[in-house]
Amino acid sequence: MDTTIDIILKFVAITVVFVVVLLVVAYTVLAERRILGFIQGRLGPNRVGPGGLLQPFADLLKFILKEDIVPDKSTRFVYFLAPVIATMSALMTMIVYPFGPDTRIPFTSITIPLVVTRFDVALLYVLGITSVGVYGIMLAGWSSNNKYSLMGGLRSSAQMISYELALGLSLIGVILLTGTLDLTQIVDRQSAWYGARWLILLQPLGFIIYMIAAIAETNRVPFDLPEAETELVAGFHTEYSAMKFALFFLAEYINMFTVAMLATTLFLGGWNFPFIESIFGRGTFLFGLVSAIIFLAKVCLILFLYIWLRGTLPRFRFDQLMNFGWKILLPLALLNIFLTATLIVLFPNL
Amino acid sequence: MLALLFILFAALAVGCALAMVAQRNPLYSAISLVGVFVSLACLYVMLAAPFIAAVQVIVYAGAIMVLVVFVIMLLNVEHEERRPPRLKFLVPMAVVLAAVLIGEVTFILVTVRDFAAPVSNVGLTHSIGSALFTQYLLPFEITSILLLMAMVGAMTLARRGGMLTANARVVPGTQQLPLSIVDPGAKPYDLRVVETDTTDEAARLLGVEGLRDQSKRD
Amino acid sequence: MAPQLSWYLALSAVLFTIGVTGVIIKRNIIAMFMCIELMLNAVNLTFVAFASFFQDVTGQLFVFIVMTVAAAEAAVGLGIIIAIFRNRETLDVDDASILKL
Repeated sequence: MDTTIDIILKFVAITVVFVVVLLVVAYTVLAERRILGFIQGRLGPNRVGPGGLLQPFADLLKFILKEDIVPDKSTRFVYFLAPVIATMSALMTMIVYPFGPDTRIPFTSITIPLVVTRFDVALLYVLGITSVGVYGIMLAGWSSNNKYSLMGGLRSSAQMISYELALGLSLIGVILLTGTLDLTQIVDRQSAWYGARWLILLQPLGFIIYMIAAIAETNRVPFDLPEAETELVAGFHTEYSAMKFALFFLAEYINMFTVAMLATTLFLGGWNFPFIESIFGRGTFLFGLVSAIIFLAKVCLILFLYIWLRGTLPRFRFDQLMNFGWKILLPLALLNIFLTATLIVLFPNL
Repeated sequence: MLALLFILFAALAVGCALAMVAQRNPLYSAISLVGVFVSLACLYVMLAAPFIAAVQVIVYAGAIMVLVVFVIMLLNVEHEERRPPRLKFLVPMAVVLAAVLIGEVTFILVTVRDFAAPVSNVGLTHSIGSALFTQYLLPFEITSILLLMAMVGAMTLARRGGMLTANARVVPGTQQLPLSIVDPGAKPYDLRVVETDTTDEAARLLGVEGLRDQSKRD
Repeated sequence: MAPQLSWYLALSAVLFTIGVTGVIIKRNIIAMFMCIELMLNAVNLTFVAFASFFQDVTGQLFVFIVMTVAAAEAAVGLGIIIAIFRNRETLDVDDASILKL
């Protein structure tokens, strides 16, 4: 009986997280188009609904109703499998992020942590799932039977596996400073110093390396040569139309969201904010609600950074990109580990 | 409950393994092998080894198989043809031996019992880390040297032709010529680089006299 | 009832046998390489099962080392495969079985 209630609660939690993620991602697409418009001196889409707020639903309708074209000589099974792998691996990482502290549900005495699940190797799990996400892009490029798609797929996957190294190494500094791989505990360790012990203060170089490597992982500007329209038609998703293209599009934005949530959890203190705990009190419902809102605000800040970079920077050429990843970012990440270890030896009580 | 999960993941692993061996297209074999690795990772989680499960997904499914799929795509490998079977008596013998194997496995599964269930704190990161860096430090260090050897070996195998000098800049569409074409008296360690369209201009930029007379002589 | 140790060992034996069959049957070098990886994974499963049922972490450490060796072998092995392909234009083991190019 206990396990049944447990399983039902887990399903409810997963559904809530799923809905929140899809809504935020849909409105990120709208926000990107509006903000890019403002950067470029024009208005974005503002016709559908008040100020354009129903635009994502119009886009969804368009994607569902479009004609689904399948290229004739493509390998069918792999062609259908690729967007599924990309979207699945993007969504599977959502379950380990802590949205808030232990919260008491009002009018009851149940205290639940605001996270779907917590286990010992959560950070490695996230890294593993993002490694599997490379398959979606590679198989998409191969199975389309189109030389632009193949080039785009190979370049994109080469870029992703190169920057995965710098990504993993930049996270070792965080693991050294908190001593655990469990994301809930990492956020708990950042609530010292009255809620201001955010790891970005102790690990600025690590944060910068992580953001650069993560932007390269998600194939966004300035690292989006493999899918730029002016270079390779549309890269690995040239031959995909309608709902399958929507799945790739969705997978890219969910990956952005994952990166933003991971950056918030590891570097920006998760749901912590200075002095909030002393205002509301530990374990109360209001504290949980305000913490979840603070978490989402920080995530939106990182998403705004992504969109800002897209509007301002030109893109790297592919050999410049690989040069940067292997010869500059990887040694910097190793230097960061060395500096963090020195810091821990010199100040053991930090 | 756990037995059902075990049967599910075991069936998935064996099914993907059989698919991998039976497929003739190497790309489908690679995808089935990724399926085997992921189901083995789930089995490791059931065996109280979450760290090893995560490392299995990162290293095997996420790095080694990506490399294999890369190579399959680059070399454009096609189907194998079915060769004519030459030793026809092997098939009945294989069936008999497989029946013997299945009989043995069933006997083991039915008769052997009484082992404790897995404990949940043997495979945590903390215990693996403390054992790896104290008692098993020597294999760890030797493994790092092994990886260095593999890196050097892979880079040597992948190198085509000779190496360029460190400050040689190769721009697509142009050709890199040695300095001795313009200046016959140039030393081999002279690594000056100029980028021009004609050798005359290069000679002028490098300060070599007498080239105009040479080229007009022919 | 909970899964017994013998179940895991039987699964490992079955996977190992399938790997051996693949190495014998297949003609493509890359497919043979993948079957070798399957055999290594079957052995990994045995190690982890024993480590769990005897509550000793040594088995899992050995799996760690085996994975590292497999990664190193993959890197160098695929480099060799590409070099063979560049010289002989074929990936068939039977066609590439003599030293003469």
